[in-house]
Amino acid sequence: MLAAEVGGQRRFEVEADTVGSALRSLPVANLVFDERGELRRLVNVYVDGVDVREQAGMETGLSGGEEIRLVAAIAGG
Amino acid sequence: MPSLLVGTRKGLFVLSSDDERRNWEVSGPLLKGWEVFHAVPDPRDGSVYAATNSFVYGATVHRSEDRGETWTRAEELGVPEDTGLTLEKTWHVRPGREGEDGRVWLGGAPGVLFRSDDFGRTWETVRSLVGHESREKWNPGAGGMCCHSIQLDPDDASRMYVAISAAGTFRTEDGGETWEPANSGVAADFFPDNPFPEVGQCVHKLLVHPARPERLWQQNHCGVYRSDDHGRNWERLEGNGLPSGFGFPIMLDSSDPDTAFVIPEEGAENRVTPDSRLGVYRTRDGGRSWDLLDGGLPTPAWVAVLRESSSYDDGGVYFGTQSGSVFASADGGETWVEAATHLPPILSVEAADWQ
Repeated sequence: MLAAEVGGQRRFEVEADTVGSALRSLPVANLVFDERGELRRLVNVYVDGVDVREQAGMETGLSGGEEIRLVAAIAGG
Repeated sequence: MPSLLVGTRKGLFVLSSDDERRNWEVSGPLLKGWEVFHAVPDPRDGSVYAATNSFVYGATVHRSEDRGETWTRAEELGVPEDTGLTLEKTWHVRPGREGEDGRVWLGGAPGVLFRSDDFGRTWETVRSLVGHESREKWNPGAGGMCCHSIQLDPDDASRMYVAISAAGTFRTEDGGETWEPANSGVAADFFPDNPFPEVGQCVHKLLVHPARPERLWQQNHCGVYRSDDHGRNWERLEGNGLPSGFGFPIMLDSSDPDTAFVIPEEGAENRVTPDSRLGVYRTRDGGRSWDLLDGGLPTPAWVAVLRESSSYDDGGVYFGTQSGSVFASADGGETWVEAATHLPPILSVEAADWQ
């Protein structure tokens, strides 16, 4: 669904110091974050395969070259 | 050509026919993955707006200028933090009047109304309604506290109506600066100690007649009603042919203010067509009497039609079921054809002139 919102584009290269600033620069930022700026509950974010909720969340630092993946959580039966 | 925008739990479908409205072609889905609570054409510029919701990505609004080929999404939509509310769902989109370029209204839950003046890119909360002094007496219905009906008076640019379940109908006569409850005579039987409160009524759908704008119709949790004075007073219309006062959709006849159509359900505790019969009930005398119309409709049938899932235009009346069928009539409801079947659960039906 996110890709469909941006004409099918699935990858973006951005420059950012933190995961939060990287995601907020995306054209789908208002789908990833709610109206209070919080990461939506069922959106999972991985930096090089590690869930940011196990790290510093949106403050997780980036040094360059990391791959951030957005994955809709498995919810429901 | 006559077309229908059919919002479903799994995207938006478009049904197209010719003037006879007997054979329909189905295309879609558009907006894959989104629950399309309502989709509506904007006759001012031919664009389409859709109130879209996702259990992952939240509530938003989409707009297409090219008949659904591409869509843009609202950039700024939310309820201000100082209200203590957060946006749960978008329910209903109403394009503004001719000459109000870019103006669009949006209703949502919990009991919120937004206005856009830039074709749906950014949305401003209508604080005069969202912060209404009666708000503490509002309660959510089974579908949430949804603002599901937005009706513009075709003759008076300063008058409009909204209906919220279960807060009731509200009317503004100053372009949205102030709102007055418009529920006099409308029952709230679920308040046995005060069945006619000023607010708190569970309106299911509200419509203004386009040719006689002082006449309003509503299908309510507690009956079907008509008002002939801009909603100041309401008359309950039952005990005269309807098997039940409970239902959700209501349809009108744009050329005859005395005609309306409803699809009753058995009741609040069993929300399905009564007597295993899918029937449309029509009045042609302002609600004094109702006749069953079921020509061409399946029987037996246990179905439900949601509040947004009916529509009408100059040549037909239409409704869609939660079981994924769309029915169309080109003869005032006398006979129906199944225009589409096996769609996902239908959330909304809106007539459109979709070239």
